[in-house]
Amino acid sequence: MDSDRPAAALPLAFAVALGVAATAFLPTPAAAQGAEGEGAGPGPLEALNLDIRGLWTNEIAVETDGEAQKFETSVSPEVSADLPDGWRLTGIGRLRFEGVDRLAPGRPSQEFRAPWSRRLQVGDYLDAELRELYVDGFVGDTFLRLGKQQVVWGQADGLRVLDQVNPFDFREFVLPEFEDRRIPLWTANAEIPVGDALLQVLWIPDRTYDDVPAPGAPFAFTSPLVSPQPRPGVPFTIAEPDRPDDLLLDGDVGARVTAFVDGWDLSANYLFHHYDQAVYTRRLTPGGVRIEPRYERSHLVGGSASNAFGDVTLRSEIAVSTNRHFQATEPAAEDGVATGTELGYVVGLDYTGVSDTLISGQVFQSALVAYDEAIVRDRLETQVTLKVEQNFFNDTLTLGGLLIHSLNDADGVVQLDLDYSLRSNVRLSAGADLFYGGRDGLFGEFRDASRVTAGFEIGF
Amino acid sequence: MATSPSSSQADPSARTPGGFFGRIVAWRWPVLILGLMVIAAGISQIPRLEKDTSAGAFIDPENPALVYRDRVEEIFGLRDPIVVAVVADEAAPEGGGAGGVYTPETLQLVDRLTDRLLGLDNVDPDRVVSLATESTVVGTDIGMEVPDFFDPVPQDEVGAASVRAAAEAFPLYHGNLVARDGRATVIVAELIDEDAAQATYDAIRDVTASAETPPGVTLHVAGEGAIAGFLSTYIDRDAAKLNPLAGLIITAVLFAAFLTIRGALVPNLIVLATVALTLGLMAASGVAFYVITNGLIVCLIGIAVADSVHVFSEYYESIARDPDRDRKAIVAEVMREKWRPITFTSLTTIAGFLAFWPTNDMPPIRYFGLYGAVGVAIAWVYSLTVLPAILAMLPARPSRAFRGDGAAGRQGVPARAMGALGGAVLARPGLVIGFWAVVVVAGVAGASQVVVNDSRINNFEPSEPLYRADKRINAVMDGTYNLDVVIETEGREGLFDPAVLRGIEDLQAFLETLPHVNGTTSIVDYIKQMNKAVNENRDAAYAIPDDPNLIAQLFLLYEVSGDPTDLEEEVDYERRRALVRAYLDTGEYTNNAVVVPAVEQWLDENFDLPGVTATPTGRVNVDYHWINGVDEDHAASVVVSAAAVMAMAGLLFRSAVAGLLAGAPVVVSILLIYAVMGFAGIWLGVGTSMFAAIAIGLGVDFAIHALDRLHRQLEEGGSMRDALARLYPTTGRALFFNFAALVLGFGVLVTSDVPPLVKFGALVAVAVSTAFLASLTLLPALALVLRPRFLTGGAGASTGGGVAATAGKAALALGVAGGLALGAGDTTRAQEMPSGDALMAEVDAREEGEHATADITLELTDRSGTSRVQEIRSFRKYFGEEKRTVLFYEEPTNVRGTAFLTYDYPDPSVDDDQWLYLPALRKVRRIAASDRGDYFLGTDFTYEEIKKQNKVELSDYTFATTGTETVNGVETYVVEGTPVSDAIAEEIGYGRVVWRIDPEIDMSLVSDYWDVNGNPLKTITNERIEEIDGIWTSMVIRAENHKTGHSTVFTNANVDYEESVPDRMFEQQMLRRGL
Repeated sequence: MDSDRPAAALPLAFAVALGVAATAFLPTPAAAQGAEGEGAGPGPLEALNLDIRGLWTNEIAVETDGEAQKFETSVSPEVSADLPDGWRLTGIGRLRFEGVDRLAPGRPSQEFRAPWSRRLQVGDYLDAELRELYVDGFVGDTFLRLGKQQVVWGQADGLRVLDQVNPFDFREFVLPEFEDRRIPLWTANAEIPVGDALLQVLWIPDRTYDDVPAPGAPFAFTSPLVSPQPRPGVPFTIAEPDRPDDLLLDGDVGARVTAFVDGWDLSANYLFHHYDQAVYTRRLTPGGVRIEPRYERSHLVGGSASNAFGDVTLRSEIAVSTNRHFQATEPAAEDGVATGTELGYVVGLDYTGVSDTLISGQVFQSALVAYDEAIVRDRLETQVTLKVEQNFFNDTLTLGGLLIHSLNDADGVVQLDLDYSLRSNVRLSAGADLFYGGRDGLFGEFRDASRVTAGFEIGF
Repeated sequence: MATSPSSSQADPSARTPGGFFGRIVAWRWPVLILGLMVIAAGISQIPRLEKDTSAGAFIDPENPALVYRDRVEEIFGLRDPIVVAVVADEAAPEGGGAGGVYTPETLQLVDRLTDRLLGLDNVDPDRVVSLATESTVVGTDIGMEVPDFFDPVPQDEVGAASVRAAAEAFPLYHGNLVARDGRATVIVAELIDEDAAQATYDAIRDVTASAETPPGVTLHVAGEGAIAGFLSTYIDRDAAKLNPLAGLIITAVLFAAFLTIRGALVPNLIVLATVALTLGLMAASGVAFYVITNGLIVCLIGIAVADSVHVFSEYYESIARDPDRDRKAIVAEVMREKWRPITFTSLTTIAGFLAFWPTNDMPPIRYFGLYGAVGVAIAWVYSLTVLPAILAMLPARPSRAFRGDGAAGRQGVPARAMGALGGAVLARPGLVIGFWAVVVVAGVAGASQVVVNDSRINNFEPSEPLYRADKRINAVMDGTYNLDVVIETEGREGLFDPAVLRGIEDLQAFLETLPHVNGTTSIVDYIKQMNKAVNENRDAAYAIPDDPNLIAQLFLLYEVSGDPTDLEEEVDYERRRALVRAYLDTGEYTNNAVVVPAVEQWLDENFDLPGVTATPTGRVNVDYHWINGVDEDHAASVVVSAAAVMAMAGLLFRSAVAGLLAGAPVVVSILLIYAVMGFAGIWLGVGTSMFAAIAIGLGVDFAIHALDRLHRQLEEGGSMRDALARLYPTTGRALFFNFAALVLGFGVLVTSDVPPLVKFGALVAVAVSTAFLASLTLLPALALVLRPRFLTGGAGASTGGGVAATAGKAALALGVAGGLALGAGDTTRAQEMPSGDALMAEVDAREEGEHATADITLELTDRSGTSRVQEIRSFRKYFGEEKRTVLFYEEPTNVRGTAFLTYDYPDPSVDDDQWLYLPALRKVRRIAASDRGDYFLGTDFTYEEIKKQNKVELSDYTFATTGTETVNGVETYVVEGTPVSDAIAEEIGYGRVVWRIDPEIDMSLVSDYWDVNGNPLKTITNERIEEIDGIWTSMVIRAENHKTGHSTVFTNANVDYEESVPDRMFEQQMLRRGL
């Protein structure tokens, strides 16, 4: 276990301290303001303009066969404070208790994560994580945000073409909110105005990659599309992932130019990174088949465009990724992988012509340039999504449905969600996540993990 | 005839009328095909015609009395109800006990009916009132109780007697829920959608028809809701049978006139063209088909054939004279003879119709005038083009009705009768003039007897169940017609002041002295009853307590004990405004005209509590103010149309005397009608007021045809007497059939089931008959006696270019007169108040600073009172003329980080750009700006309102200032905005908006919004307005949605217009970065 390494302990300790501070004070912001209004001289705390708040969430999930999947309680304190010269410090932590312990059983190894980005695991059920911690402010016209943060690119909903800067946590596959799935990285982020455009430059020394559940978990990958398949009778071992280890040379860099031109929101993106999904190479050893996960560098070049036309909003993004590695059939590809260049794009239309209703459809296609027949996935993969969201009673009740469907594998997922604001800061929710299709598909493999959920969220 | 056929063909290219008709004849096929295509185009548009047969369409939506009533209805949640009356054939016995409607069987019937009504579609289940739903107030040992009357539903006489005792112990219900003598009780059902009243009325009638009633008990369905719902369908259904009948009758008249198939059918093509194109144009220009548009069709059917009658008469006369001539030559010659009188009679009829536009406020009548004029113009064009084209295709066959050569040879009965009439007139012109002088005197005397009156129930036949029900209910109850007075105090709970309540008590006492007022209700009745209840039910305590605290406690006690919504119709939630309601058993204008001014005067003189205002409203008040203008509008339309037709005739003959002569027959005909109305007791109401202008426009035609013929014959030589003698069998005969078509066309209306239409049709028919008779008797007699120079001398107009020039001038004069009349109407209004456009432009131009920052608190409260509070930081800045606004949510934590950015461009045709940042996605999401009518993130403000911040996109609306109103002591202008198109209305979500603009600060203090279907939607109030850094700023804005019961209070704090806001605050990346 790496969780007690000194490098990880420092930020985690900070996060815990913030959390404790937050839960100990529990002042409502209004009360805090009231205290200020009473006119005691500005103390050091007030000069900091300290703002402490947080979210308490609880969610349970029961699989459709009746087995409990999740009983999760989490507290996410958020602290922000003013620093000199208009700079501001923000920290967000998360303390999570998972009572069923099936999603990430035991104390999983966090070998996909860089040591200083790991969670602190206390027993099998409790973990703490520093989600974000950054300072931001302006230097001249340039906006800098330095520290652990999320950087989001692209315009698509639920599909990733450009949104490749941060890795993802797949412990619940694609079901939770993006904000919670994305793994924040230690990043230097600069946004520099260039004429009417904005240039964003990123340097990400944090070598943390996609966090995939261990075999046996409800959302562990088994599809041959992404996961190497065991051969009957042959011993099968998985090595520790070979994470790049040079802080300077192995970091990711990226740049994005965004502009607003004639009503169009346009961006051009470039990312030189280690692709966050591990490449599972296969090696025959005297002891059997050994799977060796490693990470490969890739150039991502792409762009996005969106605009609104009457009741319809168009969103689109496109990207080319070089040196992508895919699972391949064995005789042709000895190490079980083949490389290629991937062209992906997504086009989405949102229709809001009916009051309080959002209807949004997207088509996503990914094509491989110079296709190697040994590659398991099809040369052209197509997914469509349909999202319908209806608000009732002045947005206090929201009923939403999202379908993601793969045309290649005829599988997909339907997510239904009912969300009710009981009070300003209290939200109740109920839903269902239903997977369908063959077990070889990216979605169908989770058929048995289909579930109904219920939960609440309290803001403080 | 003056021109030979050869001369017309000699110069076919000449741009004279002869040349024109020569060309029509030569190009007869293209003309006919083009004409048919245009008809087809017109017909293709008709399906787009929208029906608006609602009675509400008649009242000018800007009418201040109506606007105020609508607001009051909204405050107190009032609707026009449908009333089911349960009437026993005898009163309850004196001295108490069961009887009347207080028998177990009848009360069970009330309970069953109430249940059935509650289950009907479109009946508002919260607003059904009957003995089965209401409660009484009684004192108990511990204070007061509000038990239901039916607790339980009486099963025996003892139970029935106790219901009677309870009802009689509560004076508030006397006369409106139960009859004072116990003979009747009512079930009042308010409707959710008043436009669907017809279906609900039918459903309720089904319920009552199928109900088993105890012996001696009858059920009646009436009420304003029922009248409004049924009237439209009633009139509509009636008209469906009238129009075909009018067509048939006129075809018969045509056949009688010419005894040929073509004479009977070809004019029907003109009718088809006129009706199809008029309706097609109405459809294309988005004008609705109103109830009275049915009357317009009947009018047009009659009018459209008039031109044909004259053309065909001349045509057959011409064939009779020279049967061998070329048919094309005959047609061209006939048209050269007839185009001039046809043109002028069309122009005068147009003038008559157009007179409605500037002199009337009711949209259906204004459009009746406008499209009546359009229809006449279409008939004129087709009569001068398609009619000769068709005639030129048909072989020139003589008519049996026109035999022999020349006038003398005509032997038909009409011709001989006309000839005889002519002889009589010419023998004794003095006697004729004397007769008409008597008619004039009688007319003036009759006119002074005309009563201005109207009542909607009289639109129904007395045999209609609705009519009978209305009369029955109004006989046994206090009445179904309401006159309301709204009492408004300055602050919350102002009604707890005993002085105010006593003022209301005095007002009720006064109202009850007025004629036909049989009872009143107000909150005072409740308070007295409650006071009595808490004082051991002592009768002496049925009075207003002196202690405001006690009053407040009584209110509280009631709220705790009973259903708080019971008081909804009497007081508003803040206890600031009260509604005093008087029940009248008649809705007639004559009574309204006594009662409403009396109330206004009494309030002026006696109701002088400081800080308390009292304003009359209610159906009776609205009807009074609406119909009050009918006599003036009527007089104006008569004067304008009479002046217009006389001016036209004067121009035609280039003589003022000619104008007066042509006007004489119509003036006497109108006066005769007044005499008929005055002596026969026919009311001058909304329907009947329209007869005069139409009668003038049509009646003058006879005079013009007669004078034109006379003029031509005198030009040809001979004495006046000879010319007159020849006039009768020729033009006289044609006029007779013209007259017959009109009289029978309008006469069809007499068979209508709608009394006002019957009267309208009869009055126009009598007026047209009189004008016809006067044109053939009075006019020749005057010509003979006066020998005017324009007929006898050389100064008259002649043919050719001179006539064309005259026609041009006449048309110009008509246009100028019409324009002046229209302009005059507008300027009169404009002088009274600044225009809506100007006021809203001022609002739009109101200084709001180059940039601003503010902290906003949004409190969102739902119907049950549950609140959510959100806190927002807002920044706004102008970049040139482009306005950018950004909002950052700060509280609660669940939505913190949500941000909204909008770029509002000065060019309204350019959609705004908008972005929303949702923290859960961490993405800036582009959102469509056409959703500007959607509600902003769960508030009751639309995206548009959040962005515009107390201003309005001027290009979305047409504005009209409708009056003034005092809001919290500030005199405001009431400006009504109507979306410029249905598409815009859909987009912004409003069908109508009314703002009250404080001209001092160019800001609306209170604005009301209606949805696209006309239902009250919401009210926005600017509650605290302060001047900050020299800029007027509304610190508290309240939006209340009347449909959902949801409200949003928008409170501004830390507003700063001085400190600069950096440009980068308004960039998308700021949404991500947050504050």
